[in-house]
Amino acid sequence: MTEPLKVLIVEDEALLAMELESLVEEAGHSVVGWATSSAEARSMVESTDADIAFVDIHLTDGPTGVDVAHYIGEKKRSMVVFMTANPKRIPDHFAGAIGVIAKPYTMNGLTSALRYLQEGMRRPPPVSTRPAGFTLSPAFEAVWAPAA
Amino acid sequence: MDWKRTREPDDAWHMTDDLHVEHGKGDPFAAAIRATRMSMIITDPRRPDNPIVFANEAFLRLTGYERHEVLGKNCRFLQGPKTDKSAVEHIRTAIADNADVSVDILNYRKDGSTFWNALYISPVSNHKGEVQFFFASQLDVSDRKLSEHRMTADKDRFERAVKERTAELEAALEAQTTLLHEVDHRVKNNLQMISSLIIMQRRTIKDEATRHSLTTMLERIEALSTVHRRLYQSKDVSRFDVSDFAKDLVTDLLTASGRSGIEPKLELDPIVISAEKATPVALMVNELVTNALKHAFKEGPDGTTAGRIGIKMSQPDGHFKIEVSDDGVGMAEANGDASFGMRLIKSLARQLHADIEWHDAGPGTKVVISMPNEQQQKRTLS
Repeated sequence: MTEPLKVLIVEDEALLAMELESLVEEAGHSVVGWATSSAEARSMVESTDADIAFVDIHLTDGPTGVDVAHYIGEKKRSMVVFMTANPKRIPDHFAGAIGVIAKPYTMNGLTSALRYLQEGMRRPPPVSTRPAGFTLSPAFEAVWAPAA
Repeated sequence: MDWKRTREPDDAWHMTDDLHVEHGKGDPFAAAIRATRMSMIITDPRRPDNPIVFANEAFLRLTGYERHEVLGKNCRFLQGPKTDKSAVEHIRTAIADNADVSVDILNYRKDGSTFWNALYISPVSNHKGEVQFFFASQLDVSDRKLSEHRMTADKDRFERAVKERTAELEAALEAQTTLLHEVDHRVKNNLQMISSLIIMQRRTIKDEATRHSLTTMLERIEALSTVHRRLYQSKDVSRFDVSDFAKDLVTDLLTASGRSGIEPKLELDPIVISAEKATPVALMVNELVTNALKHAFKEGPDGTTAGRIGIKMSQPDGHFKIEVSDDGVGMAEANGDASFGMRLIKSLARQLHADIEWHDAGPGTKVVISMPNEQQQKRTLS
C-alpha cells in the first residue's frame, strides 16, 4: 500500500474547500490545513508538513495563488498543484508546480487526479491514466509523461 | 504715361551705381519694377551690412514703411520674435555664398502685424562675375500659409480623433474580454459549487434509491461542467470539439472505481460544432454513456462487471453522427430512471433536429444519432 498524502488546501471558497477535504479523506489521504489567503497559506506552509498543496489562483487577497506557489517552491518541503477556473493565469513555467486541475472538475476526475498524484509522488512516474481536466506543467510532463 | 516722349541718358536702364538718385525714369524696365504689384527691393552687398538701395512702392505698401525708413538699412528689420531662426540662417548662408534662395519666412510690418513672405533673392553680377546687387522679391502668402496651417491642424485633429476612437475601442474590447473571463470564472466556480453541494448532500443520505438519483443528477451537472471546462480552454469560444469532450467524459465515467472491467472503444473523428449545440449534445452523449454503463452490464459472479462500450463519432456528408454501443444485456432492462433519461434524450434530439435510432445489436444495444452540422470549418480549413 502506497503511503497516503498529506494535503494543504489553499482555497477561498469555503464550500469548495469543505468538499475537497471530504474527497481527499475519502480517497484515504489527510488534510493538514486550509488557508484562504496568501498570508494564511504562508504561515501554514511553515506550521504543517504537507506533501502537496492544492492552490487556487484567486484567494481572498486577490490573484495571489501564483505567489503562494513560488513561496512553497522555495521552501522545498511540499509540491504544488494549482486548482483554478482560470488556468490561463498560470505562468508558462507553472511557478514550479506539478500541474493544474482545471475547475470545474468532476468527482471522479478529482479522485483520479489524487491517485495519479499519489503514484507520481511516491513512486514516479505515475502508472494510471492521466485524468481528464488535469494538465502537467512542461517540467513534469518531461519527467512523468515523456513522449514515447 | 508719356515716357515715350521723355529723353533719358542711354545708360539710364542700368539704374546706375547710385540708386538713391531717381534715374531711369523713362526706362520701361525701371518703370515696370517701380510700378509692379510685386514687392521688390535691391540691396548692395558692397556696402557695409548689405543695405537696401532700392525699394518699390509695392514693398512699402506691403511692409507699411516709408521709403526713407528702409533705404540704407539691412532687411533684418522685417524679422521679429516669431520669425523662424533657421529660415534666417538659410538666407544668410545663401547671401554669403552669392547663391539664389527661395524661402517662406514670417515677417513683421511697421505696425507690428505679421505676414508670410515667399521671399526670393538672387544675386546680380557684372560682366566680370562680381556680385553688384541682390535682387529680392516678396510675395505675401499669408492666405496660403493659413490654409496650410488649417490643413495641418485638421489633419492633426483627425489623427487625434482616430487615435482617441481607437483607444476607446481597444479599451472597450479589453473590458469585454475581462468581463468574459470574469463571467466564465464565475460560471465555472458556480458549477463546481453545485456539484459540491450535491456530493455533500448525497453523503448524508442512507436510502439507496435517493442516493442513486443524486448520483445521476451529479453526472448530468458534471457533463455540463466538462462542456464549460472544454469550451473556454480553446481560443475560439464559439466552437466546441465534441470528440475531445467524449474522451474526457468516457475517461471520467470509467475511471470511477469498479469500472475497470469495461473496455472503451473510441472511434472519434475530430468534429467541431457551434457552442450553442455543445450543451445539448454533451447531455445527450452523457445520458447514452451513463445509461449503457448502468443498465447494460451485469455484475459477474466475481463481483466485477466486464464488457465493452463503443463510441463512434463521424461526419459523413455534412451530418454529424454519434453511435453509442454496448455488448450488454440489451434494451429490455430499462427501468424508471432510464425512461426519464430517454425522455431527456428525445427532447434534446428535437432541439438539435437530430434523428435517433435504437438498434438491438444482439448482444447489446446500439444507438445512432444523426444531426445536421453546418460547422465544418475544422475539416475544410485544416
